[in-house]
Amino acid sequence: MLHRRAVAVGAGLAVLLAATCLAYLCVGESFVAPGEVLKVLAGRPSADELVVGTLRAPRLVVGLLVGAAFGVAGGLIQTVARNPLASPDIIGISQGASALTVGAMTFGVTSYTVLPYLSVAGGLLAAALVYVFAWRGGLHATRFVLIGIGFAIALRSVTTLFMTKGDYLVAQQAQIWMTGSLNGRGWAEAAPLGWTLLVLVPAVAWAARAQRAVGLDDDTATALGVRLNRVRLGLVVLGVVLASVATGAAGPVDFVALLAPQIARRMTRTAQIPLVCSALLGAVVVVLADLLGRKLFSPTEVPVGVFTAAVGAPYLIWLIVRSRTVRSGVKA
Amino acid sequence: MQARRPVALAAAVLALLLAILFSLAFGARAIPPSAVLDALLNGGHSDAAEVVRGLRVPRTAIGLMVGAGLALAGTVLQGITRNPIADPGILGISQGASVGVVLAIAFAGIHTLTGYVWFAFVGAAIASVAVYAIASSGRGGATPVKLALGGAAINALLVSVTTAVLTTKASALDEFRFWQVGSLSGRDAEIVGQVWPFLLVGAVLVLSVARGLDALALGEDVARGLGQRVATVRIVGGLGATVLTGVGVAAAGPLAFIGLAVPHIARAIVGPDHRWVLPLAALLGPTMLLVSDTVGRVLFPPSEVPAGVMTALIGVPFLVGLVRRKAVPA
Repeated sequence: MLHRRAVAVGAGLAVLLAATCLAYLCVGESFVAPGEVLKVLAGRPSADELVVGTLRAPRLVVGLLVGAAFGVAGGLIQTVARNPLASPDIIGISQGASALTVGAMTFGVTSYTVLPYLSVAGGLLAAALVYVFAWRGGLHATRFVLIGIGFAIALRSVTTLFMTKGDYLVAQQAQIWMTGSLNGRGWAEAAPLGWTLLVLVPAVAWAARAQRAVGLDDDTATALGVRLNRVRLGLVVLGVVLASVATGAAGPVDFVALLAPQIARRMTRTAQIPLVCSALLGAVVVVLADLLGRKLFSPTEVPVGVFTAAVGAPYLIWLIVRSRTVRSGVKA
Repeated sequence: MQARRPVALAAAVLALLLAILFSLAFGARAIPPSAVLDALLNGGHSDAAEVVRGLRVPRTAIGLMVGAGLALAGTVLQGITRNPIADPGILGISQGASVGVVLAIAFAGIHTLTGYVWFAFVGAAIASVAVYAIASSGRGGATPVKLALGGAAINALLVSVTTAVLTTKASALDEFRFWQVGSLSGRDAEIVGQVWPFLLVGAVLVLSVARGLDALALGEDVARGLGQRVATVRIVGGLGATVLTGVGVAAAGPLAFIGLAVPHIARAIVGPDHRWVLPLAALLGPTMLLVSDTVGRVLFPPSEVPAGVMTALIGVPFLVGLVRRKAVPA
């Protein structure tokens, strides 16, 4: 059952995303007219082939995919935890991914085709730890968030430990990576990311259906024959994988996973988090943030994560202040 | 409880003395305790004596002061927020001090502790006011979860400010990355002399509100009924915690979880009376920090694990236990 409003919001977001992408390809150190950009995209010969097709387009693709993956990941984890604050960047998943990735960087691994796998492993490992330690005859949302915050702090300090071990250049690279940056991403990085996410599409489709069952109260779901704990675990694992894949490609871009699903839900006014809309919104946020980061303080480039944090942190604060139910921490 | 208290205090003093000895004796090379004492009492210019006096004494002294400061800060924060998981790190106050230091390094061209420390104070103060304001607004007041989340939000925001500065001012990163992790290594004797006045001021502020904290533990209304000025207790206590955290971060970087764990251990030993909890915390904090630091030094010689990482690794199981035991009301 699709809500008409959700479809309208989705279409609106898709148009917004397309416009943002076009702007992204036009604006940069040199301005390329929209007509030329479209020419390049259509594969016709153009003088701007290098700038648009080789430099900006792959970076845009990485940004799009990363944003969408974070949006969906946040939606899934928030659904299972039934808490808008249980986002991968708050409860230690991004920090686990960072710790393992930065650790590998300091030991000389610099290939963006290897790092994403380590990132996924780190994210899963951290999620498993938080899950195990927060489990006590059930997964209480408050306990989950508090223990996640604790692990996030500890893993961050492990990451900084690795940064002191490497030489200066590695530290600088790791520092930029840790903020979340799309700088220097080309087709070599965009392609594996795209394939990985494509493989996960069926799983996301399953999740969109399963999500509705989890949203029901426990008794109803069980009566309908849903194996609640398995479904929940499946959703969490998928969410963690998506978040970690995205982290591997662009670093832990803060707050996208937290923001996108909640804003999408408010826009569509659905009870459940609309996954498609939150994917679109995540992509818009990341692309727009990267565009601003490239242009605003030019020639200095500010990593995309700085902008998402600058927008996301006040939003999180607003969420805490406004929330009537954070106290019990149960309902989204 | 009454008879236990002096015994507990004496035992804590003994433990601290052992931790100091431990810290002076172990390192990249072990020096027997007799040689350590000899170096301290009789001087001399042997290699061992030089290492002990030149490197390990300042390091140990910084550990003593910072450990005591953070433990006192944690105790008073838990008291004024009536929140068992309050800690300068979790609440984002340490991160606020860090941002102050980063800005001092990158933009003000300041590279000395006496220069840093004022920036650290301002950063810590802004962060603590912000977190408390966020958590106490809205329904339900400053609950543990709201404080922790407010801290997480401020932390994330401040981390991004730090990174923005460090990625654009590459020169600051090299100085900052070693300090950021929280470490006692490479601090020279001069810093010791600069830290203690701030520590003293902070400690006096904190100790002066001990009775107010006891009253506050009974609830705000009761505290008012007992004639305590609740707002004054909170402001003076918060100021003390800010000064202690700021100077601790300026001297040793953000050291996680000491402010969280130590107050709980102290309360478990001597009960809730802050006039006993505070002094005991001031003894246990440095013990924990010095032991963490020394263990970090001998774990993977010749390189060392910074104290900040050790305390974080020790602190997490503690937090997990605390949250699981339901000491934290939901």
